[in-house]
Amino acid sequence: MLNLIRNLTVILSFIICSHANANSIDTLERERAKILNLILDKSISIGERKKRLEISKMRLLDLERMTINDKNINKNPNHRTIKAFENFDLTFLVHSSLEKEKPISVTWLEKIGFTTENLMSTRVTRK
Amino acid sequence: MKNINYRFILIITTSFFYSMASFANNSSGDWKPQIVEKMYLLPPKHLNKVLNNDFNKSMLALNLQTTDNKIKDRIEKISELNSMLKGASKNETLEIKHQIIINKRDYIKDMSNLLTMKRQKLDTKKSFFQKIQKNIRNSSLNRKTNSEFLNNKNNALKRAESIDFKILDSAAHSMSKTSKYFKQYQINKDAVKKLKLAIQKHPMSNKNILSKDPKNKMETVKNYVHNIDTEISVLEMKEEMINYMAKIVALDAMSLAEEVAFDSQNQNEIVSTNFNDPVNVISVFTN
Repeated sequence: MLNLIRNLTVILSFIICSHANANSIDTLERERAKILNLILDKSISIGERKKRLEISKMRLLDLERMTINDKNINKNPNHRTIKAFENFDLTFLVHSSLEKEKPISVTWLEKIGFTTENLMSTRVTRK
Repeated sequence: MKNINYRFILIITTSFFYSMASFANNSSGDWKPQIVEKMYLLPPKHLNKVLNNDFNKSMLALNLQTTDNKIKDRIEKISELNSMLKGASKNETLEIKHQIIINKRDYIKDMSNLLTMKRQKLDTKKSFFQKIQKNIRNSSLNRKTNSEFLNNKNNALKRAESIDFKILDSAAHSMSKTSKYFKQYQINKDAVKKLKLAIQKHPMSNKNILSKDPKNKMETVKNYVHNIDTEISVLEMKEEMINYMAKIVALDAMSLAEEVAFDSQNQNEIVSTNFNDPVNVISVFTN
């Protein structure tokens, strides 16, 4: 009897979990992480980085548009989704960079506080 | 023990399907509104029209029409039989009265069916509007809780739309190929813009109070439910009338039965006096 109940529980949980779908924000976040990884990758040449960024940028633009126009996320948005829309410039990097007319890398670095002024005002100290 | 458990589960499962099947059988001749959610935004008059059109296509409407025709036929037959009563002999009168009572009984049956179907129609309509009410309540509740998020999302949408031309420009200079989605997005976006403009210019758009103000929307739907409630109470009164009619027909039947019994009793009495009372048979002996 216990075995039967255990099996039924496994089957039911499988059926319930199979309805879960990937959120458009999650897909966007994965692509965004790839781009940031590419920006910070020291092992590739500048030309290679530029070429690969161009391709990734178009893919990220599509995903950003899909996320912005996705009406399904209006219903019960999770914490990640709410936070993503609170920080438009960080979430929608391609849109933000086109709006500011700056490269993606500059837009992202500026947004997290790595501006030229900030870096220039720092000094090397020894603790 | 294991076998008993399996049998127990089997019985529960089959009984569940049996109950489902019986539930489905009960719903034959039902009306389930096939209205898409987008139509909830229609102006009140149009929503009602669409709902009525949907009803007219249902099995319930067909059954309602058939029963209605049957009732008309029965009334015609009853009035025809009533008109035949004047010149009829005693035996014919009894037969006609009998036919009238049968037709009245059938009329009451059909009328009762008709009222049940009308009730079903009104109940379905009521639950439809109650569902809309629930949706409005839920959406306004969601709107309240998600208002900040929705604001951010709308701002994101506006910002994205404002740089559409920049995106196009950038894509033209870009070294990489644009995707299929990118091309389709542009085409669809233009089409949606045109449609939105057409909706704004449409004369009926100004009359659409349902989509503009949720308070008005709720009020209108409440009015609908109120009207349906009044119609249901009228139907209940009609059902009471049918009960009284049934009582009258039952009394008519009793009276006819008594009449027939009395006649046959009279005939029997005549026969009995003919044979059992010597006074009545004197003439037989004297002639």
